Amino acid sequence: MVFDSALLRPMFPILAQTAYEHPLIYLDNAATTQKPLAVLDAIQTYYRTGNANVHRGAHFLSDRATSHFENARTVVAEFLKAPEQSHVIWTKGATEAINMVAYGLEHVLEKGDEILITSLEHHANLVPWQQLAFRTGARLRVVPLTSSGEWEEEFAHYFTDRTRIFAATHISNAIGCTTPLSTMLALAKQQGAFTLVDGAQAVAHYPVDVSELDCDFYVFSGHKMYGPTGIGVLYGKQHALEVLMPYQTGGEMVRHVSYQATEFNVLPFRLEAGTPNIEGAIGLAAACDFLSEQNRPALLAWEQSLANHVYTRLKKYGGIDLYSPEKNTTLVSFSVPNIHVIDLNAYLDSQGIAVRAGSHCAHPLMAQLGVTGTLRASFACYNTLEEADRFCDALFDAMEILGDD
Amino acid sequence: MTDPLQAADIKQRLQECRSKEETFKALVTLSKTLPRLSADDKTDANKVKGCESAVWLITDDCQGIRHIKADSDAKLMRGVLVALISLVAGKTLPDIQNMDLKAELAELNLSSYLTSSRTNGILAILDRLQQP
Ligand SMILES: Cc1ncc(COP(=O)(O)O)c(C=O)c1O
Repeated sequence: MVFDSALLRPMFPILAQTAYEHPLIYLDNAATTQKPLAVLDAIQTYYRTGNANVHRGAHFLSDRATSHFENARTVVAEFLKAPEQSHVIWTKGATEAINMVAYGLEHVLEKGDEILITSLEHHANLVPWQQLAFRTGARLRVVPLTSSGEWEEEFAHYFTDRTRIFAATHISNAIGCTTPLSTMLALAKQQGAFTLVDGAQAVAHYPVDVSELDCDFYVFSGHKMYGPTGIGVLYGKQHALEVLMPYQTGGEMVRHVSYQATEFNVLPFRLEAGTPNIEGAIGLAAACDFLSEQNRPALLAWEQSLANHVYTRLKKYGGIDLYSPEKNTTLVSFSVPNIHVIDLNAYLDSQGIAVRAGSHCAHPLMAQLGVTGTLRASFACYNTLEEADRFCDALFDAMEILGDD
Repeated sequence: MTDPLQAADIKQRLQECRSKEETFKALVTLSKTLPRLSADDKTDANKVKGCESAVWLITDDCQGIRHIKADSDAKLMRGVLVALISLVAGKTLPDIQNMDLKAELAELNLSSYLTSSRTNGILAILDRLQQP
């Protein structure tokens, strides 16, 4: 099964550009991916032929918009293997989804309860829990990594009868490793904790089955999986979503309002106050369709082979500290002793190569790894082997130029 | 100590850069002329907040003239520091305070290096240069 990324490239017109007179090489896909024509077309078509507010007017366009919008929810539910489309709540992105849960569960926490996260978390899956702990007197605890970046062998004892919430990333954005979710989720469930998985880095690459994962909540952003910005998803089990206090109130989420009281609407509307991001939902559904039409195992194998190719070349070159795993990851994260990652980044940029340098919104993780930041090259289905090689060559040139004193 | 001629020279060199790569190389070359600070000088008080890389800056007014020592853990930033220091070299604090440093910086053709997140840091550096 040979996969040819060149066949996909015409679907991503943005990639045909030059940057500073070099062919643009986009390796910052973990930050956001580019969008295929199918997604751009879906958004255009919505505005050209179907724009109206949803769930409100009883007229031709409103019915059309509502049906496209609710169909998008069904597409996403199928994409996640969620049992019910009403378990899919639209959000702005992963960050908003996590905040909705962190606010929504405030009323179940008591002083001394524990919120457990892992060392790998993006600030988006850390700060909302920390602030929730501050508000409620709960304690934020962290399943740590060892200094070599492995999980501690014995992490079961972090899951206690006080653990009320366990929130973990599916895949680390900073170093690309996978969380041992099935073990951790089982431990959390034994303690009766609510469980949330941050799938922001997973959905573009890995098939996700929320029913099999059996977590209470799963969140992600559309823009990291070929969809538009400003749209994301909070998936939840029925009972878990029902426990959530709506963190925003207003129109759409109500059934009946008087000056004395408000009766909230049913799921999913109860958690979706205001006019939703209709174009975003439609664009995200198009992105799900785009992915579903691909040979996903072949895409993943390709992305992993690019990361492994770069990993191998960097390792062979020497003098580079690698933080991402050698295999089974779609990104490479590293630093070069005595050369600042922003200097490396600047040279790569001057060659038209887009990567990410910095702490990747994971200050505590960087502190544990003993670095201020790393350089991250992250791959998507449209990247080519030639791009991976150009990246390595340019990096070695940069090390040469920058490393001479 | 740098004299104004050198400032003109630096400005010319940077203005002659025709690509991002040339500017990169020019900054690397400039960075090599910056005397590094000792570990003792790299205190928290001397650190300029808001820069993407760590930057330390020390001013010392001696017989009216402002002397500046600075360092960074990033090489391009050291190149930028050399250029900035050249702008104010040999001047008194009131002279420096009367300068439009932002405008002078804009003439150095560095805009592609001073991206939004880094600009904050640069402004903090300019601020330090003009502070008593
Ligand atoms: C693992 C992880 N979680 C959460 C987020 C936040 O996503 P967003 O900024 O789209 O809400 C990101 C984005 O960088 C991420 O990589």
